[in-house]
Amino acid sequence: MGSLKESAVSGSNPLDSPVKQIQIDGLVVLKIIKHYQEEGQGSEVVQGVLLGLVVEDRLEITNCFPFPQHTEDDVDFDEVQYQMEMMRSLRHVNIDHLHVGWYQSTYYGSFVSRALLDSQFSYQHAIEESVVLIYDPIKTAQGSLCLKAYRLTPKLMEICKEKDFSPEALKKACIGYEHMLEEVPIVIKNSHLINVLLLDLQEKSTVADKHELLNLSSSNHLEKSLQLLMDRVDGMSQEIVKYNTYCRNLTKQQQQKQQYLQRRQQENTQRQSRGEPPLPEEDINKMFKPPQAPPRMDTLLIAGQVNNYCQNIKAFTSQNLGKLFMAEALQGHSS
Amino acid sequence: SNGTKMRNIEDTKRVVRSAKDKRFEELTNIIKTIRNAMKIRDMSKCLEEFEQLYRAFLKSKTIVDKEGVPQFYIRLLADLEDYLNQLWEDKEGKKKMNKNNAKALSTLRQKIRKYNKDFETEIVSYKENPEQSAEEEEKDDIGSASSSKSDDDEDVTAKSLMKKKPQEEEKKAPEASKFLKGAADEESESEEDEESEDWGSDSVDSGGESEDNEGAAASLAVVFLKKYVYGDKQPERKKDDRRKRHKKMEQVDEEADEEGEGEEGGWEKVKGGVPLVKEKPKMFAKGTEINNAVVIKKLNEILQARGKKGTDRSAQIELFHALAGISNENNLGEGILVKIKFNIIASLYDYNTNLAAFMKAEMWKKCLECIDELLDILFENSNIFIGENIAEDSENLAISDQPFRVRGCILTLVERMDEEFTKIMQNTDPHSQEYVDNLKDEGRVCGIIDRLLQYLESKGSTEEVCRVYLRRIMHTYYKFDYKAHRRSLGLQGETKSEQDQEESEGEDSAIIMDRLCKFIYAKDRTDRIRTCAILCHIYHHALHSRWYQARDLMLMSHLQDNIQHADPPVQILYNRTMVQLGICAFRQGMIKDAHNALLDIQSSGRAKELLGQGLLMRNMQERNAEQEKIEKRRQVPFHMHINLELLECVYLVSAMLLEIPYMAAHEFDARRRMISKQFHHQLRVGERQPLLGPPESMREHVVAASKAMKMGDWRTCHSFIINEKMNSKVWDLFPETQRVREMLVRKIQEESLRTYLFTYSSVYDSISMATLSEMFELELPTVHSIISKMIINEELMASLDQPTQTVVMHRTEPTSLQNMTLQLAEKLGGLVENNERVFDLKQGVYGGYFNRDQRGGYQQKQGYQRGDQKGGYQQRQNYQRGGYRNQNQSSY
Repeated sequence: MGSLKESAVSGSNPLDSPVKQIQIDGLVVLKIIKHYQEEGQGSEVVQGVLLGLVVEDRLEITNCFPFPQHTEDDVDFDEVQYQMEMMRSLRHVNIDHLHVGWYQSTYYGSFVSRALLDSQFSYQHAIEESVVLIYDPIKTAQGSLCLKAYRLTPKLMEICKEKDFSPEALKKACIGYEHMLEEVPIVIKNSHLINVLLLDLQEKSTVADKHELLNLSSSNHLEKSLQLLMDRVDGMSQEIVKYNTYCRNLTKQQQQKQQYLQRRQQENTQRQSRGEPPLPEEDINKMFKPPQAPPRMDTLLIAGQVNNYCQNIKAFTSQNLGKLFMAEALQGHSS
Repeated sequence: SNGTKMRNIEDTKRVVRSAKDKRFEELTNIIKTIRNAMKIRDMSKCLEEFEQLYRAFLKSKTIVDKEGVPQFYIRLLADLEDYLNQLWEDKEGKKKMNKNNAKALSTLRQKIRKYNKDFETEIVSYKENPEQSAEEEEKDDIGSASSSKSDDDEDVTAKSLMKKKPQEEEKKAPEASKFLKGAADEESESEEDEESEDWGSDSVDSGGESEDNEGAAASLAVVFLKKYVYGDKQPERKKDDRRKRHKKMEQVDEEADEEGEGEEGGWEKVKGGVPLVKEKPKMFAKGTEINNAVVIKKLNEILQARGKKGTDRSAQIELFHALAGISNENNLGEGILVKIKFNIIASLYDYNTNLAAFMKAEMWKKCLECIDELLDILFENSNIFIGENIAEDSENLAISDQPFRVRGCILTLVERMDEEFTKIMQNTDPHSQEYVDNLKDEGRVCGIIDRLLQYLESKGSTEEVCRVYLRRIMHTYYKFDYKAHRRSLGLQGETKSEQDQEESEGEDSAIIMDRLCKFIYAKDRTDRIRTCAILCHIYHHALHSRWYQARDLMLMSHLQDNIQHADPPVQILYNRTMVQLGICAFRQGMIKDAHNALLDIQSSGRAKELLGQGLLMRNMQERNAEQEKIEKRRQVPFHMHINLELLECVYLVSAMLLEIPYMAAHEFDARRRMISKQFHHQLRVGERQPLLGPPESMREHVVAASKAMKMGDWRTCHSFIINEKMNSKVWDLFPETQRVREMLVRKIQEESLRTYLFTYSSVYDSISMATLSEMFELELPTVHSIISKMIINEELMASLDQPTQTVVMHRTEPTSLQNMTLQLAEKLGGLVENNERVFDLKQGVYGGYFNRDQRGGYQQKQGYQRGDQKGGYQQRQNYQRGGYRNQNQSSY
């Protein structure tokens, strides 16, 4: 449960947001896990709808249901229709039917993408308290449940509303990759009966896999992460090259503009000395159309993703290092 | 059928005629107008009508084909031409002519001259014996004059006959003749007026025709007589006559046909009607004393016609021959003979005005003979000096104490002959018997060059000697010297016939090449000849497996540095040499050198084009006809071709021997480079195949062998590379087949061993060398040396355990995670660099944020890693870059 504890709320002030804490029912967690196990595999992603309600500054998620998998060519399927139908049915059986966000599985922590941004924006735009739950099945499979709740920061919300991703706008907004998403702390709440059952089970279960704790066979995980990281770094490089070209073009044009203005000025002074009327002012911007600035949002997202991977790798390796040191100490002790 | 038709028509008095009559009438009408126009010298009218006539004649083509060209038509053509020539000659008259007329005259003159070419035989025969044609016409005349309804046909025939009347008579009694005619015509009911006009016009015209006079004179009286006879009985016999006339017409036509056919049969005998030949069947007037001056004058006279439009070139050659005969008969000495011979050969070359066309076989034979004779003369008479620089007026052709001095260059003639030979070979289908026959002439060509070489060695300047040497080299370098080969194998005794014996006594081609080339290296001052000589020398060395000499010569000459500045034929030669060098290296077992030498030719995929062995279809649209012609002229004759399949096979096998171990060694290397793209392409093609059958083509064999080698299975690899199919396709083409095959097997064993070790070293902790030696059928020392080499080169992480003769493997390969980390580090380096660039741009200053030196060091290291793959040799001999190819592209 280490991941739950280190939920560092990054950057933004949580006071601005209406939700400061999330309380998830054990049922929801289990349903999400079940959903992935049944339908997701490999790098495929499963998604679903979260239901619940806001109590003061606490968002309580009490139920959820999955989006059915459907293929692109299945035209008849209407997602919205399905959701409404589902919520109506749930209401009939007296379950919380308020839409409070969505969940999504992730593959080695790769979830910071344009798609997530767009859909979370639309959720948050429509229902202010919406959150997205990110569930990492691979880490969970290794024994540590990994479930995180994210919200877009108000700053990012504004930018998304403006739909202006130009370098200037982002610069003005003072937004960096660390200010894009805010993590909301999660508490899992079970009914007392369940807690009792768990304690009961704990008593009964044998400690079978204890040696697993020191297992270092993690290279596969690390390799995958590295691969994904490399891919993103490549993407980043490309974006930078794009931006670089843009910058160069811009300066070049600036110079041309300057030259043109100077020439015009000289000509005008000459004309003045000859007593002719000065040349009419032309729209300089029409003559020198500034080059299209590349949208920087993708770069930000990539940076966020890279950051994410790095956090993952760091956490992973620090755990492994700890294990190694422990093993070393034990060996030294025994020999 | 004509007759019956006519009879019916007769009753209705309607003029319905057969198609033939209709057409001919049309023609004759036009002809009449032309004659009228001729009379009043209205040239523009003439031209217009002539064009109409031409069209009308085309329309009646079917009939003409059936019936033969009508005489009246030929007559008009002949007359018109004469008339025009006469007008043309008349300078005074031309001046007086108005502009339009003058213009029309020249146009018409050219037109008719061109047009008359098609009817040359007919016109000539008409001109030669107008009486015969006239006689034939007589029968018609009889009918026509008497018939009341005389057709236009007859008008014309009669008229044209009359035209042949002797001038004198015409002049003496023009009125009388007119009267006579008039009398004849009055009796008939035909269109007298027109006719009489024609007559008049004819008499004027005939002034120009002096040749025809005598011929027509005899028949004239007869005509008139007969006319009168018929004229008396005419009214009664009208109908009969008409019938008869038609029959006669048919007869005449038949006769004309026969005549035509006869002429066609004897077509070759009648040489064109160009005045030059006609007028001077005899060279000199009888009784002229034939001496040098006269002959030279005559020679110059003939020469002046040379190159002019309308000169019959074959006739000119004939004339020269005749002249040579005359001068021989009169013992005018060799000087003049040589001079004439020069001109004969020159005019033989002139025969084809088109540069692309090649000599006809008989011309070629004649040319060879002539040059041979010329050389004979030159050898027999050492007192003849020839040279280009001897001025025309300082020639000495007469027999005297002084040596002969003749202007002319035998070397140029022989060079031209050599080029003609190449052209003939280029234009012959290489798979025909004809090609073989033509190729037999190569011996003669070589003989001539050899003789010339002897001659020039004693008389010529160094430059000339260099040139003739190069010719000799060009005929030697590509031929494999079998007798020298046999001799080196010690098989001297096996020569079967005496001829072989004789042949084998000659010098080795290697020695000849050496002697000639070294002379050129020392003496030549034009770069081109030396370059060609070097290339040929290398080629010859390579062909005879003298690899080190060939390679050293190539490297010493530094040709690869500046070959791209040479002209395309030299570049083609260079490419050929390179390929031959590569093949030679392969035979010697220098696989890497072979691969390097062939890489550039093969990787372009245009080996065929680069070697001048054919044009590629695909850039048809890129080049226009002109360029195509030029390229066609560059093609190497078929007998000099390098086998392209052999070339590709050698390349692919060398690539396989290099690439497969390399691939095995760098299996996990992300930055692996391809040694040979072409080879990889073949492998991919092989992989794409959904169903793999047993290999068929050479390529498939190599691909299959490569796959076997990848697994270290040398036996399968061997069986794919060397088997009956491949032997017959490739390996048997080498002179030392067996040796090459042995070399190949050995290479396959060695490289398979290397591949095996690379691929499976991770499976072994240690492996005994004896086992390896057994597996790959190599001797223990060889295995030892190969493994040692691999260890030294740090290709194989292992060590040798001497006492047990085993290889102990060390695991030092980085894990995939480590590999990936390295890659990531590299990528991050790139990222940082890019980022810095953005930063630099913002700051405007280049500098400072990161430590520059460090970065430079990093780049340097990278550069080193990339650089070390290229062998020094390859870099040094970056053979092909921008050779023939690049220049070609730029010229497109």
